[in-house]
Amino acid sequence: MLSMKSISKVFKTDLVETHALRDFNLEVKEGEFVAVTGPSGSGKTTFLNIAGLLEGFTHGDYFLDGVNISNLSDNKSAAIRNEKIGFIFQGFNLIPDLNLAENVEVPLRYRGFNAAERKRRVQHALEQVGLAARMKHLPSQLSGGQQQRVAIARALAGEPRFLLADEPTGNLDSMMARQVMELLEEINKAGTTIIMVTHDPELARRAQRNIQIVDGQVCDFTMYQGGAEKPHLVSDTESPSDGQQAQTEQVAG
Amino acid sequence: MFFYYLDLAWRSIKKTPLLSLLMVLAISIGIGITITSLNIYQMANINPAGERSSQLYEVRLMSQGLDSWDEINPQITYQDSFNLRKSSIATRQSPMFRTGMAVQTDDDNFVPILEGARVADSDFFGLFSVEFLYGNSWGKQVDIDPAYQVVIREDLNKEVFGGENSVGRTIYLNQKPYQIVGVIKYWNPSPKYYDVNNGAFNDAERMFVPFSLAPIEEFESWGNNQSWKREDIVTYADRLASETHWNQYWVELNTPEQVKEYRLWLSNYIEQQKLIGRFEMPEAKADLSDVATWLKVNNVVPEDNKVLVGLSVLFLIVCLVNMLGLLLAKFLKRAPEVGVRRAIGASRAQIFAQHMVEVGVIGFFGGVIGLLWAWGSLSILSAHFKLEEALTQLGMSMWVLAPGVAIASALIAGLYPAWRICSTNPSVHLKSQ
Repeated sequence: MLSMKSISKVFKTDLVETHALRDFNLEVKEGEFVAVTGPSGSGKTTFLNIAGLLEGFTHGDYFLDGVNISNLSDNKSAAIRNEKIGFIFQGFNLIPDLNLAENVEVPLRYRGFNAAERKRRVQHALEQVGLAARMKHLPSQLSGGQQQRVAIARALAGEPRFLLADEPTGNLDSMMARQVMELLEEINKAGTTIIMVTHDPELARRAQRNIQIVDGQVCDFTMYQGGAEKPHLVSDTESPSDGQQAQTEQVAG
Repeated sequence: MFFYYLDLAWRSIKKTPLLSLLMVLAISIGIGITITSLNIYQMANINPAGERSSQLYEVRLMSQGLDSWDEINPQITYQDSFNLRKSSIATRQSPMFRTGMAVQTDDDNFVPILEGARVADSDFFGLFSVEFLYGNSWGKQVDIDPAYQVVIREDLNKEVFGGENSVGRTIYLNQKPYQIVGVIKYWNPSPKYYDVNNGAFNDAERMFVPFSLAPIEEFESWGNNQSWKREDIVTYADRLASETHWNQYWVELNTPEQVKEYRLWLSNYIEQQKLIGRFEMPEAKADLSDVATWLKVNNVVPEDNKVLVGLSVLFLIVCLVNMLGLLLAKFLKRAPEVGVRRAIGASRAQIFAQHMVEVGVIGFFGGVIGLLWAWGSLSILSAHFKLEEALTQLGMSMWVLAPGVAIASALIAGLYPAWRICSTNPSVHLKSQ
């Protein structure tokens, strides 16, 4: 489903070059639930942005659903994001002026669905997250957990094959976080591939597979084989030191 | 998607009413000033003869003597008018000048009015395609054998006879009875191209009397008179025989052959006049100017008007630059929302289109309010600065042009802000929300 080979990402300014990802390799199969962990600045968000076609990369090959992403036009990238990828953000990122139904409807508008189809999908997506009764409410009238459920409904409305979640529970209390996580697990069981960046080891353990990114590289991973025992993570016992931040190199001259 | 973008634009405008109002005001003031000057320019620049413009010619003659100006005169003498009437080449022709008379009726309750009148031949109405409401012009014979007949305009007919068919009735001009032979429909060409020497934007006359009556009734000239020669003009006969230029002369020539033939006739006429001691200058000549040329020759649209339009366009550009700054501030503030839209499937082109629609809506409102500014400023110019009414009427085309120019200008101003917002990296703003 997702294949990254020797991906590197370098941010350049006049004075510095920052290597956010280096020789990054990853394969994600269809239907997997992958948790991505790692210290701050390790490159998790950069990886997620590249995976979600929000950012380009400096070197390497990236295939999504068999399509080479390297030289796609902006229109093609946008179409793939719209049809195949759903995004869930830590800060929910709902549009404050639009009510819940209108927020969920946004990606469907860009997809070109007619009004009846949009209405059906919005209704279905909001029912999935238990907020169909409040579709005329504004985001500001909801709790954080409810807002995140709306964001999930928005991501689901287009029936994507691939969900990218960046710290989806980061702004929620533990109870809300558990509810959101259960929702994501249900979605995954229904066949949607999920990649979730998180700082929370407990949430990471609930995923089928854990990836740790350190210094812009995949450090180690453990495949959860579906047995009773949860995967053992390197990060659980060997926390990365401060020195394992993404390297910033001073450019000579 | 257009209507979706319209909905988003309207929400955005409502969300930031003050900023939106500032932008609408900025563009509306620029449009208002541009439309005002453009309207005056356009109204002054209209060719009222329409498709007949190239068939109607004003005749000019260089009849002056030596040691005078070497330019061809805008008007001709009465004796030249009298002579030119003898040509039968033109389809229609008419000498003319402006006069004025006191108007009275048989009705004792009617208060006499002093009214401008045009002294012309019967061809005048056909020449300038003047339509009749009742009756017709006086007959061709009256151009030779004078008769006290008059044609009046619809509005004067309403004032004097309550609008009824007055053909055959009598009206008193300078206390002489004239029979009404025709009532023309309202006709007030602007500019008054048949006589631009006497106020190109003055109203047309409401009464028309035969040219053949001039020597008998000694109609005064209510127009400009130019003379190159010192002459003792005591009687009206002296005036008719003088070298004073005070008549206008129009001919209708429908084919190039007709024009060529008439030019030749004029050349021969000049040669003939030279033999009797007139047209003393070696370069003496005749000239035929069609309506468009005639308006240009007389500088009916002054160069200042063009400069004014240019300056107002510059002012519009200044307004647009201000608008550009405001748009940039407004759009960049929305970068996080744009980041979300990009992440969930909007292409750069769609984000660009969304913002351009919003700019277009602002431009449209600016255009509508700009029209109101233009209408107000034209009213003020008309009321307080005595600008001719013909120039201060907001032309119909401006009702389309103003919103059109406003939208186009706003779109140009919005190009950079819309491009900036659609070019921003969405991932930068997603984390920062």
